[in-house]
Amino acid sequence: MSPAPATREQDLKPPDGGWGWMVVMGAHISIGFSYATPKALSIFFKDIQLDLQAGYSEIAWISSIMLAAMYAGGPVSSALVDRYGSRPIVILGGLMCGGSMVVASFGNSIVYLYLCIGVTAGCGLALNLNASLTIISKYFLARRPLANGLAMAGSPVFLCFLAPFNQYLLDKFGWRGSFLILGAVMLHCCVAGALMRPVGSRNSPPTKAEERPDRGGGGCVGRAKKIVDWSFFKDRAFVIYLVGNILFIFGAYAPIVFLSAYAVSRGVDQYSAAYLLSIMGFVDMFVRPGTGLIANSKWVRPRVQYLFSLAVVFNGACHLLCPLIETYAFLVVYAVFFGVAFGMVFALIFECLMDLMGPRRFPRAVGLVTIIECVPMLLGPPTAGLLVDLFDDYQYLFLLCGAVIASGGIFLFVMNLYNYRRPQNERAGQPQPNDPARIQNALHLDFCAKESAVPESADGAEPAAGGKMPSMSNLHLPVAAEENGGRSPPPNRFAL
Amino acid sequence: MIPGKRRAETMSLPALIFGVLMVHTVSSQNEPSIAASEHTSLPVEGHSSPFTLQCNLSSSDYAVLESYWMKNGEEIPETRSANRNIEYKLNKPRGDDAGVYMCVFTFGMSPAANTTIEVKAAPEITGHKRSENKNEGQRALLYCKSVGYPNPIWTWRKLENGIYREIDNSSGRFSISSKDNYTELSITNLDINLDPGEYQCNATNLIGSSDERSVLRVRSHLAPLWPLLGVLAEIIILIVIIVVYEKRKKPEDLQDDDDPAGPVKTNSTNNHKDKNLRQRNTN
Repeated sequence: MSPAPATREQDLKPPDGGWGWMVVMGAHISIGFSYATPKALSIFFKDIQLDLQAGYSEIAWISSIMLAAMYAGGPVSSALVDRYGSRPIVILGGLMCGGSMVVASFGNSIVYLYLCIGVTAGCGLALNLNASLTIISKYFLARRPLANGLAMAGSPVFLCFLAPFNQYLLDKFGWRGSFLILGAVMLHCCVAGALMRPVGSRNSPPTKAEERPDRGGGGCVGRAKKIVDWSFFKDRAFVIYLVGNILFIFGAYAPIVFLSAYAVSRGVDQYSAAYLLSIMGFVDMFVRPGTGLIANSKWVRPRVQYLFSLAVVFNGACHLLCPLIETYAFLVVYAVFFGVAFGMVFALIFECLMDLMGPRRFPRAVGLVTIIECVPMLLGPPTAGLLVDLFDDYQYLFLLCGAVIASGGIFLFVMNLYNYRRPQNERAGQPQPNDPARIQNALHLDFCAKESAVPESADGAEPAAGGKMPSMSNLHLPVAAEENGGRSPPPNRFAL
Repeated sequence: MIPGKRRAETMSLPALIFGVLMVHTVSSQNEPSIAASEHTSLPVEGHSSPFTLQCNLSSSDYAVLESYWMKNGEEIPETRSANRNIEYKLNKPRGDDAGVYMCVFTFGMSPAANTTIEVKAAPEITGHKRSENKNEGQRALLYCKSVGYPNPIWTWRKLENGIYREIDNSSGRFSISSKDNYTELSITNLDINLDPGEYQCNATNLIGSSDERSVLRVRSHLAPLWPLLGVLAEIIILIVIIVVYEKRKKPEDLQDDDDPAGPVKTNSTNNHKDKNLRQRNTN
């Protein structure tokens, strides 16, 4: 039932609807578990600490290892998804997560938990993540921002659901029983995987047309065999995206970690401080699909990279203004704005990468971006924590994070402006958009198959000139992406 | 300590109390005599008015080097001075202000002199576990902390059939350890049938008593099993539905395919018919 080579799927025009919405639901579930689980597990830490007689920092490592494994597993996950398609990988990921949670419930030492939950479940989540994003890029093109926004909304929705659910499980069954049940609940990822019907499954059996890929697509097959594809770094847009994202991720998580502590230090009581995060998550839930809808609109779609960079700057600005806040009412306002900014960024983070890379190169790109972003993600909160310890004041944390994020956003905005407004003739060796021979060539080299007619682009059939965003070119003609150096924005996995 | 007669009166009405000086009988001429406030006890409920403990060194034979207050055997910080008349003020006396206070006078050559003043209060339980959830076979620990003086006598009871009864320790799994203002009830090897329920710790002293309840719940090892099976069943049903739906759609899709290149894979006997026609039993 599943088409063996990925190339077959390239024959198809993305459905942009129909079963695609079920796939979005599957991706929503899968992404939801991927992002919410490491955070929601912290509810069990106190109980585990008492039971296994370990220190708090030893237990907290479980979450960190899980997140690190989830991000570091990107390239391997990409390679697998490229080879086998999304469905088997998500099912495998679900089985790994569920199985490892069940096994973890019998654990008696911290290291056992590190291996089971941290490493195994983390890898399972990595498989889920990459595969879910990839299948969205295969199923959607015209409505892709909306699909991305809806799928990414899984993260706050599941966190909202998992946090009280975990608390209830903990009270009723203790941490071991909870892990057993959570393992079963995580098998819903397998259900999500079952929904991810491969795009090519409706196609007829292989015909002569299929032979073309083997001739012109040596690069395609060859690339599939590598785990890490270094050629991405030659792509200027990819590098710009990557740098901007690294800056964003470095500052993104620390404010979340320290928000309630900051509120308490400003005189707010414990419960109200915890509410701030819930408010943020709640707002996030609605902002992500909303942003997807906006990004899908005719006017914004070609400029989605700019919207993304503006969202990042907005995020930074929120944090920079936070130290001025003294009262709880304003903290609530801050939490709302933070939720909006965070949701906007994460709704677009992978859409932008898909936009830059195109559906074929996306899985690889996302794996690469993920493993590189592992570093700022792990370094960010501890560095911020160090600042808090040094100065004994939270305001420097917010100032630092805000500054780093805002500079990332400004960098993205400026570099995108520069990159896409460069006159065509400055691009050495870049093909002209309307060169038919080039088009023919590009079709073979880049996509290993005859690309189907591109669906409706946002604004009509303007030729992809030098000043156009890659998104326009992707919508427009496959070769347009080639013109811009074949650069596609790397998807922001972190947007999850 | 200066031996002497003292009347220890227990005040039952909240009143503004200033130290009533009592003269101690002096047993030896050379020993200093201290006039101190009476022992008192704090009211059980409501606010107490501010309260001052006083100690006056009456004899003038000795030069005071230092004087300070102690509570429950430990020096109260920042009470050191060189006065002969010292006071210690309790602004809003609460349960934890109760205890044994001592005013101490030190001299250059002679041994120090002191007097104790007891401030009593009924016990008030300040810390306890409202509920404890443990698994079968584990060990549960219930505790209670109180303030008040004198130190209470602790008893633990279990709610059975509507009244609190003494705990039956025939199985030997219960152990109570109490010290001063703290008590612990430890139950080892929890039994899911006998042990769950409400436990009450009771603190009683001469002045009054107080109690608090804790609920103990015991989780069975098999408790998560049913939900686990339920969730697994639900997942299997969902997957079956999805797969069946897909399989049923697929043959129909194949027949809609316009590609003339290859024959539709089917072992149906209707091969020779127009493949665009929908078949009912194409398998």
